[in-house]
Amino acid sequence: MLWIQRFWLRLQTLFSRTRSTQRLNDEIQFHLDQQIAENLAAGMSPAEARQAAMRTFGNPTFLKEQTRDTWGWTWLEQMSQDMRYGLRTMLNAPAFTFVAILTLTLGIAANTTIFSWIHSVLLNPLPGAGEPERVFALESLTPGGDWVPTSYLDYRDTRDYTKLFDSFSVSSPMTVAVGNDGAVEQLRAELVSGSFFDLLRVRPEAGRFFIAAENEDTQNAHPVVVISHGFWASDYQRDPSAIGSTIRINRHLYTIIGVAPDGFYGSMPGFAFQMWPLATMHSELNATGDWMLQDRKARMFRVLARPKPGVTYEQALAEVQAFGHRMAEADADTNQGMGLNLLPMWKSHYGIQEAMLGPFTILMGAAGLLLLIVCANVANLLLARATSRQKEFSVRLALGAARSRLVRQVLTESFLLTLAAALLGLVLAYQFTSGLQYLFPAGTRSWFSRPPMDLGVLLFTLALTLGVAILAGVVPAMHAAGESVNETLKEGGRTGTSSRHSQRLRSVLVVSEIALAVVALIGAGLFVKSFRMARAIRPGFEAKGVAIAQFHMFSAGYDRQQADSFCQRLREQLEREPGVTAVSYADYVPLGLGGDSWEDLQIEGYVPGPGENMKIYRNLVAPGYFEVMKIPLLQGRDFTLQDDRDHDPVIIVNQEFVRRFLRNQYPIGVKVQGWGHWFRIIGVAQDTKIMRLTEGARPFFYIPIRQIYRPDMTYTFFVRTSGSLSDAMTALRRDARAVDAASAPLNVTSLEEFILQSLFTIKIAADLLTILAGTAIFLAGVGLYSVMAYSVARRTNEIGIRISLGARISDVLVLVVRQGLVLGFAGLAAGSVVALVLARLLRSSLVSVSPADPAVYVAAAGFALVIVLAATAIPARRAMRVDPMVALRYE
Amino acid sequence: MGKPNDLVQGTLDLLILKTIALEPKHGWAIAKRIQQISGEVLQVQQGSLYPALHRLEQKAWIKAKWKETETGRQAKFYSLTAAGRAQLEKEAANWSRLSAAINLVVETT
Repeated sequence: MLWIQRFWLRLQTLFSRTRSTQRLNDEIQFHLDQQIAENLAAGMSPAEARQAAMRTFGNPTFLKEQTRDTWGWTWLEQMSQDMRYGLRTMLNAPAFTFVAILTLTLGIAANTTIFSWIHSVLLNPLPGAGEPERVFALESLTPGGDWVPTSYLDYRDTRDYTKLFDSFSVSSPMTVAVGNDGAVEQLRAELVSGSFFDLLRVRPEAGRFFIAAENEDTQNAHPVVVISHGFWASDYQRDPSAIGSTIRINRHLYTIIGVAPDGFYGSMPGFAFQMWPLATMHSELNATGDWMLQDRKARMFRVLARPKPGVTYEQALAEVQAFGHRMAEADADTNQGMGLNLLPMWKSHYGIQEAMLGPFTILMGAAGLLLLIVCANVANLLLARATSRQKEFSVRLALGAARSRLVRQVLTESFLLTLAAALLGLVLAYQFTSGLQYLFPAGTRSWFSRPPMDLGVLLFTLALTLGVAILAGVVPAMHAAGESVNETLKEGGRTGTSSRHSQRLRSVLVVSEIALAVVALIGAGLFVKSFRMARAIRPGFEAKGVAIAQFHMFSAGYDRQQADSFCQRLREQLEREPGVTAVSYADYVPLGLGGDSWEDLQIEGYVPGPGENMKIYRNLVAPGYFEVMKIPLLQGRDFTLQDDRDHDPVIIVNQEFVRRFLRNQYPIGVKVQGWGHWFRIIGVAQDTKIMRLTEGARPFFYIPIRQIYRPDMTYTFFVRTSGSLSDAMTALRRDARAVDAASAPLNVTSLEEFILQSLFTIKIAADLLTILAGTAIFLAGVGLYSVMAYSVARRTNEIGIRISLGARISDVLVLVVRQGLVLGFAGLAAGSVVALVLARLLRSSLVSVSPADPAVYVAAAGFALVIVLAATAIPARRAMRVDPMVALRYE
Repeated sequence: MGKPNDLVQGTLDLLILKTIALEPKHGWAIAKRIQQISGEVLQVQQGSLYPALHRLEQKAWIKAKWKETETGRQAKFYSLTAAGRAQLEKEAANWSRLSAAINLVVETT
C-alpha cells in the first residue's frame, strides 16, 4: 500500500521536524565539503575552492526552503506561526482584545442558548429515545377541525384495527402525591401504556420496563411504576434495592420495577417527569370510577404512534385518517364528524413546542441581529487596528510576504478572538440554558427539563464560530491585502490613501451597526407597546387585590366528600382572617395557561347548524365567586350553598351565551343540557376574557362546583383582601396547613401575577428584545465613538490650522458633530426602512399595535439619536480643545 | 544549455532514478554521475537536486539511509524502492517514446 507508506513518511517528517532539518543541513554540508575537497584536489586555493563549490551549488537557504516544502507541512507551520503571532499581538493590545472577546462572547452565548432551547423543544423533542424521527403524535379532531385529546376507547380501537403501525401508547401527565401523610411530595407522573418504553426504544438503567401482560387493557391490575433516573438519585441515592420496593402514590402502594436512563424525561417535549405508572391505573390514581377509560367522550389522552419500518409518514397518515372516518360512522353517537390526525412530534400540540414556536423564532431572529452587530463591531475594531498596523503590514510586504499570507494573518487573528469567545460563550450559555424554565409561570418551573448541551449544540456553536470569524475578519483582511507599500512607507502611515479608504469602510460598518441596532430597538419597542396595550385590556373581572392558591385535591387522596369538607372549612377559616373581604373557589382560573375545560351542550330552543361546535368553555364555581372576582351579575342570582347535588341543577351563563344561543330572549328559566342533566339558567354574568386577553367575546357558563364532580379537578381558592396581598398569601398557606397538614398548595400567587401568564409570549419578547436592543445600540455607540475619535485624531493637524486661521470653536464643533450626525442619520434611515419591512413578519404576534406604529419608530429613532450624540460629543470636545501650536508641531 | 531548472521536472526525476538504479549513492555522487555520463552536457546546478530527492523520497520511490563513506564520513545514501523501480521503467519507456517521436519530427523536416 503505497499511500500508507507515503502517509507514514509525511507523519515522520511532521513529528521529527527539528531532526529532519538538522539532517538536511548535514546532507548539504556534506555535499559542499565533497565539492570543496574536489576543487582543492584540482589545485584551487581554499577560498577559491569554497566559492566555486557555492557557485555550482546555488543558494543553500533557498534550496533548503524548497526541500522543506516537499515535506508538505508548510501550511501547518505557517498557521502555527500566524497563531503565535496573533496571540502576541492580542496580548499586546489587551483593551482591544478584551472588548472584542467580550462582545463576541455575548453574541455567541445568546445564539447558543436560544439554539439549545429550540434544539431541545423543536428539533430533538424526544431526548433519550431511539429513532425519535419515527415517533408521531396521534390527535383527534373535532368537527370544527380543532385538535382534542383522544379517548382510551378510540386509542384502543386505533391500536387494534390499523395495520401499518408497530405500536401505540397513550400518555397523560398528572401531578401525584408521593410518600406518607407527614411528608408528601408533589411529583409529576406520566401515565402510559405498557408499550411506552418499547415504542420509544428506551432501555432500562436498572430493573425492567413493562412486560406484555402489563400492556393489557384490564383496569387497576398492575400497581407497578418506573421511576426517573433523577428521582432514583435524589430519593434512593441510586440504591439498586429500590427496585422491587413499594412506594405510596396518591395513598396507594406501587412496586418500583425499573429506572429510566439518565437523560430520558418522558414524551412531552420540554417537560421532565419523575415516574411512569400505567394508564390502566388511572381510576385508582384519580379516585374515579372505571368509566373514564370506557367512555368515548372522556377525551384525555395524548397518543404516540410508531409506524412499522418502511411505512412512510404519508401512508401512515392516510390509514389513520381513513380509520378516523370509520370510527366517526361506527360510533356516531360520540364521534360524529370527528377525525384523526398524525403529526411529527415537533408539530404536535402536547408539550411546550406550540406555545414556544413564535417566541423562539422571534428570539432567534433577535439573537442573529445581535450577532451581526457584534460582527460589524469586531470588524470595525480589527479595521481600526489594521490602520494602526499599516506600517507593519507594509514592511512585511516589502520584505516579500505574499498578500495571501497577510489575509491569512488577519483571518487567523479574527479566528483566535472568536474561538476564545466561543469557549467563554459555551460556559455562559451553559448557565443560560437552564433559564428556559424562567420563561414559564412560577409553580410549573420544576416541570421543565434542562436543555442538554449535546453534540448538535456544539456543532452549531462551531459553525457559528467559523462563520463569525470569517464575517468579522473578511473586510479587515481584504483591507490589509490592499495595502500599498510605497504610499504607506512614504507617508508614515498617517494620511495615506489606504487609511482614507479604511476610514470609509469603517463608516459603512458603523452605519450598518446603527441600522441593525435601530431595527432591534424598533422590534423591542413594538413588543413593549404590545405588552402595555394588552395589559390595558380590561378582562371583565378585577384581578387587583386577589390572592390565589391551587390545590390538587385528589392527588392528596381526597374523595368527593373530603374535598367538599376541606374546602368548606378552609373557606370559613379564611373568612375570619383580618382584611379578607371575600373568599370563594373554582376549578378554573381565567387567563391561565391550559384552561381547556368544556362541555358539549344542548340548549332548549336552539338548533345547532351542521357541524357547529357546541363545546362551550365553563367554570365550576363556589358561591361568592362573582363577588370575589367583581364580575357583575346582570340578571338573576348567584349560586348559594343550597345549589348542591341534592337540589335542582342550575347554571349561570354570560352575555355572549345569551346573545348567540338565546337570541337575546329572556334567559332566566331556560334549560341547558350537559353531563346528562338539564340545568336551569338562574343568572347572567357580564362577559369576561377567558383564554387570552386579546380574544373576542365567547360564550361561557358557570356551574355550582358542588353539582358536578370531576375527579381530576384542581381547586383554586380566591381571596380578596383590603390589606396586603402577601399577608393574604401567608394566610392561605397557614390556613390550608391548619385544616389538613397534608394539603400542600401547589401554587400560591396573586391573581394579577397569574394572569400575566396569558401574556407571557409578549412579555418574553418585550423583555429579551429590550435587553438585546439595549446591548445593540450600546455596541453601535462604541463603534461610532471609535470612528469619530480616530477621525478627530487624524484631523488634529487640520483643526489646528483652521483655528490658527481664525476658525471659531463653534465652527470646529459643527465640523465634528456634522460628521457624526451624517453617519447617525444614514444608520437611522437604513434601519427604519429595514424595520418597516421586517416588522410585518411580527404582525400576528403584536397586540393592538401596527407594525408601522409611528410612535415606536419616533421613540426608537430618538433614543438612537441620543446615543449618536453622546458618541460624538466626547471626540467633539477633544476637537474643541485642540491647541493650534501643539497641533501644528505635531506633524 | 541546460540549467536543471530548464529541464522538464519529470526529466530530472528520471535521471535521478536511473543514476541510483545500480547501487545506492549520496547526493554529491548523483550530481557528479549525471554530469559525467552526459559528457558534461547536463550542467546540473547541484543544489537543486535536493528538493527533487526529498520529493521522490516523500513519494516512496526512493529510500534513504545514513552510512559511512569510504572516507569515513556520514552521508545520506539513496536507493530505489520497488515502487521506484516500477516508476523508472515507466518513465524510461515514456522517455524513449517521446524522444523517438521528437527525433522523427526533427529528422523528417
